[in-house]
Amino acid sequence: MEYKTERCDVLVIGGGIAGLSCAVSVKEQCPELDVLVAEKNFAGYSGKANRGGGVLQYFDPERIDPWEFVKFHAEKIGAYLGDQELMAEYVAMNKGMLDKLTSWGAVLPKREDGSYRVFPTGPMTAMIATDLDITLNIRKTAEKLGVRFVDKTALIDLLTDDGGVTGAAVFSILDGTPMVIRAGETVLATGSQNYRIGSMWGSGRGDGIAAAYRAGAKLRNVEFGNFAQLARVRSHNEVVYGENVMYNAKNEHITKNFMKERETDIPSTAIREWFTQIREGNGPVRVDYGPPPPPPPKAENAPPSPPPKPRYGDRFRKLNHEAAAAVDQDMEVAPLFIGEQSPIAVDHLMKTSLPGLHAIGDCSYCGSGVAGAVPAPPGRNRGSGILNAVFSALKCAEGIAAGAAEISVRGYDEAQAQAAFARITALLERKSSVTAKQVTALVQQAMAPVEQSVWMHEERMKKAMDYVDQAEALLPEMSAKDTHGVMECFEAEAMVLSAKLHYKASEMRKESRGWFLREDYPETDNKHWHKWIAVEKRNGEMVFSLEEIPPERFPAPDME
Amino acid sequence: MINTRHRIEFDPDKCAGCQLCYKSCFVDVIRWDAANRKPVFQYVEDCEHCFYCQSVCRRDAIRVIPDYESEHLLQSFPQYH
Repeated sequence: MEYKTERCDVLVIGGGIAGLSCAVSVKEQCPELDVLVAEKNFAGYSGKANRGGGVLQYFDPERIDPWEFVKFHAEKIGAYLGDQELMAEYVAMNKGMLDKLTSWGAVLPKREDGSYRVFPTGPMTAMIATDLDITLNIRKTAEKLGVRFVDKTALIDLLTDDGGVTGAAVFSILDGTPMVIRAGETVLATGSQNYRIGSMWGSGRGDGIAAAYRAGAKLRNVEFGNFAQLARVRSHNEVVYGENVMYNAKNEHITKNFMKERETDIPSTAIREWFTQIREGNGPVRVDYGPPPPPPPKAENAPPSPPPKPRYGDRFRKLNHEAAAAVDQDMEVAPLFIGEQSPIAVDHLMKTSLPGLHAIGDCSYCGSGVAGAVPAPPGRNRGSGILNAVFSALKCAEGIAAGAAEISVRGYDEAQAQAAFARITALLERKSSVTAKQVTALVQQAMAPVEQSVWMHEERMKKAMDYVDQAEALLPEMSAKDTHGVMECFEAEAMVLSAKLHYKASEMRKESRGWFLREDYPETDNKHWHKWIAVEKRNGEMVFSLEEIPPERFPAPDME
Repeated sequence: MINTRHRIEFDPDKCAGCQLCYKSCFVDVIRWDAANRKPVFQYVEDCEHCFYCQSVCRRDAIRVIPDYESEHLLQSFPQYH
């Protein structure tokens, strides 16, 4: 098959906040490098940062020592399964990242004295609201710096040469045009696996994760891709902090059953509690925030405050709110499965186990180990989603810039490229009625029910794996009627892989820790499971292994 | 979400052909008809009802009408499936 070719020094696959930040940072440090961003839809409009909460975590450097937060995180969030050095670096870079974002065109509100306008969220953290045009502004900055873009272009597979990654086989989702992009360094910024269940997470379909796995990259912490949030039962809109005010049909405050002190964000025990209440016939469960606080008193004769400045995201938020409000009749809630598997294993400069391949943002968050025993980001660490993406992008760019003089575009295996493109043809030519949506629906049946994926038990995981097996059995039969369908088939294949990895690793981890919850192994077992589970493809087989956690300044209690 | 029944109403007479709706769709629901300089809402069954296309349209040519009943939480209890 004939195909187009492109060539660049640095190929960034994925044009969300992580990919754009990395492209800009590389170009700022090394203007001579040719940087190309390939994006499945449109870079700047893609990903989640421009549809999410629009908040950035803030640490007051005058008040918080990074290691204080690391200790808090290890105890309350990451359950001693995190890379503490990396977390300390993330906190220490907080102010620098905010300044970078501002210099790239992100609008972060400031006070008259030039300091950021922050609002406190806890004893150690605060937040800054940002507008939803953040990624569009960074794309504009990237274009000014000379970063090139190919939009509507999806990854099929990474290309390798002597075990190192030398670029990617991609295709236009508009007309199927195949293309080989040869690159000195390749950066995956393709987001997490969200299984097409939650609306805002619609673009996180794990195809970059699957391509990395197929190329032989190591994955890590695959079992922490099972995030769920409480949502209104009609609009499925999430309720933030609803876990603190959960009530059953008897009007009992059921939050007391699982939460002793206020937590940073929803714990998985809230999801377990919801399931238990409904199973025992005590449903529905609703959240009740109580009456809104009274408005602050106005000083007499105070001049009327000026109306707030219109923001880019105002209309987006208003439309979403109005549509949901039209159907939500009360505050009944149920879990919305989100997933957020982010497992590509990387070092502190976001290098994967394969030479020439880096992974940043939501495709390597848990794989970096920074998170500990928690999915996402934000991973019970509100406001950290965007900043973790920026953090990993800056670290990655630092590593690429340090080796810029040695970057060279190497060869690739022609047969490998042809095999990748043959996958498109096979899907389009196959005479079969099996669609990507059928496969996806089976994976969703494995992942969405929370008693299978969040509050786990060996028996229930077997049931889930049956669905995954059924989905996997359909893969060779899948067909597509056009290139949009081809894209969906690749995504469905990635979802099967993610679900399989999740349940295999979850079955291995015979304990409960942080977000990870097993009914049949309810205790944390530091003796045996203070370890990361890693997995890679070797000779076509899925091979799991255990890895030691990097040295910890704050060790797990019974490890001292 | 898959197999949703959200609808998108489009008024071609209002459309200025700016492409913002096409570019803003993060799940490839909207394609672009270059000859007529108009969007084509080709894969509406994949719409995630994020409202981005409607919110960026400066001419109010687009209206997303979500059908929340067609979205499912997929929990094991019939009322939440």
